Amino acid sequence: MLTQLHKVEQSLNQVILGKQQQIRLALCCLLAEGHLLLEDLPGMGKTTLAHALANSLGLSYRRVQFTSDLLPGDLVGLNIYDARSQQFRFQAGPVFSQVLLADEINRASPKTQSALLEAMEEKQVSVDGETRALPTPFFVIATQNPLFHAGTSALPESQLDRFMFRLSLGFPDHQAEHQLLQRDSSRSRLDLLSEQLNTDQLRALQQQVPKVNASDALIDYLLALINSSRHRSDMLPLSPRASKATLRAAKAFAFINGRDYVSAADVQQVFPYVAEHRLDPSSAAQESRLSQLLLQQTPCPL
Amino acid sequence: MLRQKSLLLIWAGLQLSLLLLLQQAFAWWIISLFAVLLFYRVFALLRNNAAISLKWVNLLAGIIAVALLLNLRQAGVLHFMLQILLLAAVARLLALQHLYEARQLVWVHYFLIGCCFILHQDMAIAMLVLAVFLLNLYSHYRLFAPSGARLNWPQTGRSVLIILPLWLGMFLLFPRLPAFWQIPQANVAATGLGDSIDPGSIEKLVQDDSLAFRVEFDGALPPRQQLYWRARLYEDFDGRSWHISPLRRTAARYNAAPTGNDAAAAQLSYSVIAEASRQTGLFALATPNSVSGNLQLNSSGLVSANKPLSQRLSYQVKGTASPVLLLSAQEQQLNLATGSGNPATKQFAAELLQQYPQPAQLVAAIAEHFGNQAFYYSLTPPLLAGANSIDQFLFSSRSGFCSHYASATAVILRAAGIAARVVGGYQGGQWHPQQNYLAVRQREAHAWVEYLDNGVWQPFDPTAAVAPERVLNNLDDILPQEQRNLLNSGWRQLAFLQAARQQLMHLDYYWSVWVLGFDDNSQRNLWRQLIQQLPAIAASIAGILLLLLLIGGGYLLKRRAPAAVPPATMLLQRALHPVLQLKPPSQPLSVYLQQLAISQPQHREWLQQLSDVYEQAVYADKPQALMQLAALLKRRRLQIKQLRSSVKNT
Repeated sequence: MLTQLHKVEQSLNQVILGKQQQIRLALCCLLAEGHLLLEDLPGMGKTTLAHALANSLGLSYRRVQFTSDLLPGDLVGLNIYDARSQQFRFQAGPVFSQVLLADEINRASPKTQSALLEAMEEKQVSVDGETRALPTPFFVIATQNPLFHAGTSALPESQLDRFMFRLSLGFPDHQAEHQLLQRDSSRSRLDLLSEQLNTDQLRALQQQVPKVNASDALIDYLLALINSSRHRSDMLPLSPRASKATLRAAKAFAFINGRDYVSAADVQQVFPYVAEHRLDPSSAAQESRLSQLLLQQTPCPL
Repeated sequence: MLRQKSLLLIWAGLQLSLLLLLQQAFAWWIISLFAVLLFYRVFALLRNNAAISLKWVNLLAGIIAVALLLNLRQAGVLHFMLQILLLAAVARLLALQHLYEARQLVWVHYFLIGCCFILHQDMAIAMLVLAVFLLNLYSHYRLFAPSGARLNWPQTGRSVLIILPLWLGMFLLFPRLPAFWQIPQANVAATGLGDSIDPGSIEKLVQDDSLAFRVEFDGALPPRQQLYWRARLYEDFDGRSWHISPLRRTAARYNAAPTGNDAAAAQLSYSVIAEASRQTGLFALATPNSVSGNLQLNSSGLVSANKPLSQRLSYQVKGTASPVLLLSAQEQQLNLATGSGNPATKQFAAELLQQYPQPAQLVAAIAEHFGNQAFYYSLTPPLLAGANSIDQFLFSSRSGFCSHYASATAVILRAAGIAARVVGGYQGGQWHPQQNYLAVRQREAHAWVEYLDNGVWQPFDPTAAVAPERVLNNLDDILPQEQRNLLNSGWRQLAFLQAARQQLMHLDYYWSVWVLGFDDNSQRNLWRQLIQQLPAIAASIAGILLLLLLIGGGYLLKRRAPAAVPPATMLLQRALHPVLQLKPPSQPLSVYLQQLAISQPQHREWLQQLSDVYEQAVYADKPQALMQLAALLKRRRLQIKQLRSSVKNT
């Protein structure tokens, strides 16, 4: 199954060129059952990534453009009165999909943001007192536009904490962009992406991630790393949710790399993407100053 | 300007309690005068009146000082000193206005509190004094503490805990210095036996339930018939009452330990804790051979102190149970005087002598006479008012107390030409088996006779002939109910109060043995024991330290346990020690090994293998990987050496 996952990775790499690291991290986030926050300029391939992920994994995909007048009901759905049957009928919102691209999440009002975030955390939504479970897997890719802050409501720290990873795709390098331009259209290639892995297989892969071994010594190192962020004034302290996310992400990362144990290198690899937005919510996504500082200052005895 | 009203109230209360504690030293008018002044001060404080002006206080204090000075002869120097000191404190409190005055006052209070121990040594009073001391300490603290500061109890408790061993060590081990100054003798009525004995004097003592002394025996308790505690010898008889001979007073100074005449007699060894009696006379059984400390032992077997006892005194006596010996012909002569009067008694003695020429026989006859005839033992005998009181007692009233019988017997013996004297002291005592000591109270005061037979002063107790139970049992048991009531008046009859009193007495006993009795001697013994047991003590201290160290070490180890280095890491570090020093501290070992594999192509293969095996061992928790790692490191010793040198070169 891992080979199939690697095939997914390969096909994704054919769609989004020159972003192997980011694609692996995005897959890692999906495997770890976390949600992904992409911070990028428009036109960097965020939607393509989300769409490609959904397609190659055979997942249902919806995209919501967040605007300031978007209401929670537009997102989770509404009870609509059906005059013919004289009954209320639930019209499911876009949140009822397996991969949800929440585009420009910081443009929506905090009320709508929190409705989404609740859905992300609980994997269910409540409409008019009725709780409805969301499909599984439920994977949210939210995007933020870092440049245009006018009329946005930045996600508060507590809500940023819900996202396991924050990534930035960044500009492609010369060669990749050259190749991109030579192609007729990436959209058409996207449609060509076949379903490499069905939902059940993805579930099975996700269930294997927690079984990856993390030794006591490694957990101690991880805690030392997390702990070094606490009792400092130049950054926000990392919560236990952050340490859980780091370990889970490191496990997923080790799993993708074909290992059944987490190494300190895994932790160091995923740490900046897990920690940076938690340490400094106002930092830009391509930055990893604070997390690199912590990595350097925490001795690794292993 | 001192504005803390509560402090002034505390001091007023403190001085009132000092007044009560030191009341022995004060006449009633002084007490009431001081109390009035203090209550006035409290009243003025509560009414928010300012302190009295210094001028008036000085005038008042001057007048009182003069009055006290006039009273000096009556009060004695010691009491005068205490009075003046308390006067100073009270007067200072009346006019207290400045902080520095308050500081002086606190120190005067400390001194006065210390003075309480001149008058009292009881444990209960000591507790009271401690309470007053703590109050003064608290006021001292309040005086110096910044305003609004609260007493920090945990910290205070910690300080006390820290100081406690030091304090105990000081008490136990610091050399006992002799007194820096002499305390003048107080004019206080002496308690216990007097210098003269006349019918009636012991009677008063018998109604006194207070403690006279306590005894702890080294061996078993001697039989009750032997428990005659000799304190006084009454040898001068004036026809009515007995006195200590003036000759004896001067002769008492020569010191030659009496020698027992009977080597086979039982040896006695005991320690006595005498209560403060304001007398010099102390107590011993039969013939004491040696006494401890600064005491005098005279040849007639009497023990005395150099100066009147103002505190409890503990001393040890070793001796034999045999009677004392005659010292000189002069002593015999002294004890033959019968005085004038009492013709019937002399007549009776002459008749007895004719029948019984031997002294022992005569004494037996007297005992028989008392036993067979209608003689009664009574605490309330009729008054013997006439000139011939012995005659009156022997032939008409026939009812009396130990002193009556003793003095009558001595007179009969003297009239028969046998030297005899009345001995004053105590008989018996209350034995407390659990606490293992004998408590002798004033009510156990007794008088008996010693007569000369073959150069030995044989004791004879005529009271035992009349009321043998008096000797064998307690006084309570032999008296009829109404006379017993005379002894046990009021609350003493309540059983539980009696029991509580007993317990308090035991507690007080331990207090006097362990605290008051802790003198030079005990300290020297303690030092000696300490030195003897030094190895044992050092071993136990070392043991305790080791135990603490182990506990602390275990605790630290437990705390550090999560940070322990995994065995695989230790193995690798040991094998690759100098190479790994170049590793950046934050870099994982396996990553570093892979970097090395790249930078050192000749070692590439095994370094990569090493990295893999190490990861398996440290991250995957596989025990066989650890063994593989050890084997690999062993196998690659040579390469490791090469690696070291090549890394060093680059």
